[in-house]
Amino acid sequence: MSDSSKTVLLKGGKIASEDSPDLVDGDVLIEGGKISRIGVGLEAPAGEGVTVIDCSGQILLPALFDVHIHAREPGQESKETIETCSEAAINGGVTGMVLMPNTMPAIDSGAMVQSVLNIAAEKSRIPILQSGCITKDRAGKELAGIAGMAAKGVPVLTDDGSPVSNHQVLRRAMDYAKDFDLMLAMHCEVMELSGNGAMNEGRISYQLGIPGIPAISEEICLDRDIRIAQYTGAHVHIQHVTTARGMNTIRRFKEEGVHVTCEVAPHHLMFNENDIGDYDTHYKMNPPLRMPEDNAQLLQGLIEGVFDVIATDHAPHTAFEKANDFGSAPFGITGLETALPSLFDRFISKGAFGWDLLVKRYSAEPRRLTKLDPVPIVEGGAAELIVFDPEAETTFTKDFMKSKSSNTPFLDKTLKGKVRVVLTGEKILLQR
Amino acid sequence: MASDSGITPRKDLLDIESLSVEEIEFLLKTAAPFKDLFKRSVKKVPALRGKTVLLLFYEPSTRTSASFEVAANRLSADVTNFQVSQSSVVKGESVLDTIDTLQAMRTDYVVVRHGASGIPNLIAKHTNASVLNAGDGFHAHPTQALLDAFTLREVYPDTNGKKVLIVGDILHSRVARSTSTIFRKLGADVAVLGPGTLVPEGRHKFMQGFRTWEAAMAWKPDVVYLLRVQLERQQDQFFPSLGEYHKVYGLTTERFSELQDRGLWLMHPGPVNRGVEIVDEAMKYERSLINQQVENGIATRMAALYWLRPGTASEDSSRKSIA
Repeated sequence: MSDSSKTVLLKGGKIASEDSPDLVDGDVLIEGGKISRIGVGLEAPAGEGVTVIDCSGQILLPALFDVHIHAREPGQESKETIETCSEAAINGGVTGMVLMPNTMPAIDSGAMVQSVLNIAAEKSRIPILQSGCITKDRAGKELAGIAGMAAKGVPVLTDDGSPVSNHQVLRRAMDYAKDFDLMLAMHCEVMELSGNGAMNEGRISYQLGIPGIPAISEEICLDRDIRIAQYTGAHVHIQHVTTARGMNTIRRFKEEGVHVTCEVAPHHLMFNENDIGDYDTHYKMNPPLRMPEDNAQLLQGLIEGVFDVIATDHAPHTAFEKANDFGSAPFGITGLETALPSLFDRFISKGAFGWDLLVKRYSAEPRRLTKLDPVPIVEGGAAELIVFDPEAETTFTKDFMKSKSSNTPFLDKTLKGKVRVVLTGEKILLQR
Repeated sequence: MASDSGITPRKDLLDIESLSVEEIEFLLKTAAPFKDLFKRSVKKVPALRGKTVLLLFYEPSTRTSASFEVAANRLSADVTNFQVSQSSVVKGESVLDTIDTLQAMRTDYVVVRHGASGIPNLIAKHTNASVLNAGDGFHAHPTQALLDAFTLREVYPDTNGKKVLIVGDILHSRVARSTSTIFRKLGADVAVLGPGTLVPEGRHKFMQGFRTWEAAMAWKPDVVYLLRVQLERQQDQFFPSLGEYHKVYGLTTERFSELQDRGLWLMHPGPVNRGVEIVDEAMKYERSLINQQVENGIATRMAALYWLRPGTASEDSSRKSIA
């Protein structure tokens, strides 16, 4: 597949960028893995091995990048593997991702990081970044082998799935990580407040008789994490923000100049506690779905630029596990394959925001956050792009999805839009 | 015997929330002749002859399971007590394994009690048998609500505008949820009183509540419905001590006198913690409906069993035609 002389011409599409909501007509010629020319009416160069793809009516956009993924390997391969996860990513137009370290065992040393990278090199068709734990075994007690993990190129430290509850441990971690130029990505939760909660605390949790996770559980921890970052000067990244109040706390600290970034998950923009209905575990995740007004305000915050990145928190679980009762079923839903069509269906197609926001927040900024170059569709740029068909539809059947798990609210549902082509360098990873 | 009077039977009885007022009225109307039956020497009717009722209790409950057993027997059904582990750690996944067994046994009705909310809903989705929720977690206890409504109707044939004060652990009580829902559906006003720790967060947005007995009494309730205080709540710091609970939220001697003076009705789902939520002498109160509630439990559970219709999956059709 490393035929660097391979030439691809994408004809008739419209090009999206992070700089403008306007799509620009342009044929894109890719030679030797780079974008050599962009223009209207480009002709394919003469010769062998030229692939011409008709993109009329379709949108070309820089390939997506997701900073919050659970690939479950090692240890929980019945849910997902690095191979199935990377194929799910490609299926959704994502060509780079950061894997969370809460595997079994957890990724808390350079050797563990290397073991995942070895699997990825063999099994994944897209580059994989592995994050490392802040504390050993994510237990929140002792610092993990940070220097060793830094040497293996982890872009971020996180105990994702759990907070670092001990203030002093977190303060030490932040002071220590600064010297390695590593940010800390925080799962914000006060465990004493969350207790055995399984959904947002409020009227619906009362009606269903399910113990609640109050919004303050997330908001208090988020506030503390940023304050410690402010004090230590570390870069803190707040994961999966769910409440308007938490978002506004981040906004305020950003205005104060604190080095804080944050992410929002598509499901927290689209769904709320009312969707749980008759104990549907496809709406159970942590942090939980909140209130309809949070949906609206998070969307507004995304438009206003409070959220640096969109990230799915792709969290596969087997159908058997999710068939459990609501309290016992595990937290988490998949997202890699549904993110783009769902964001298009729910927001872009309705004019809530433009393609520029999607490119910026789900392609360019996630790469910058992990110190990678963005991949704009420009002459001389790296060819890393997708072709998206806004007129087609996608039905998310088990067969269609490449993830090993199908624990998504969109299972067997149809959304507007379809990823037609995924291309990196000279390789066409997907074409349909 | 009540006729069907145009009310379509349901497969399952999982909660009160999803029942229409017409369905509730039908169930209460159906229960009345069943109760009259108890005065006869032969208390049985053949309505469910040849049907199997399975009792699946994951939480210990002598009273409710006995009530269902008597109800099923009086409808001439065959009753089986399925021995399950009454450990609180039995999760939905192992419940589903049990359900596969039940499907194979071709049970017509499953009466289930479980410590986790939503387990009956889960079972109902996986079996053709009719599922009757006999109490799940903090979620629902629909037959308790029906017997409470039946009992309230016996003292107030018109429940519209009647005021019911529910006192105690509202947060963890499936009885509070289901009974307040059925009372409201029957036109009654419901308000709650309990420690701030034991009423749901944000309750002021969706339920009427009081902070003190005095304020609650000034509301002029017709019925005081006491909930059982789970003794482990004190260990979890929901209130400082049982003594303090009794003083602040319990039916003390003084409050009981006021109840007597005003002639208010007293209800309690049982079993009672004497000296905690209720002072001992109140147990002999002439306007206590507690024993009536227990008696009405049988008639209303008969009505529920009588009304429900097991599912009609093809593999069941042969059985149904034989029956």
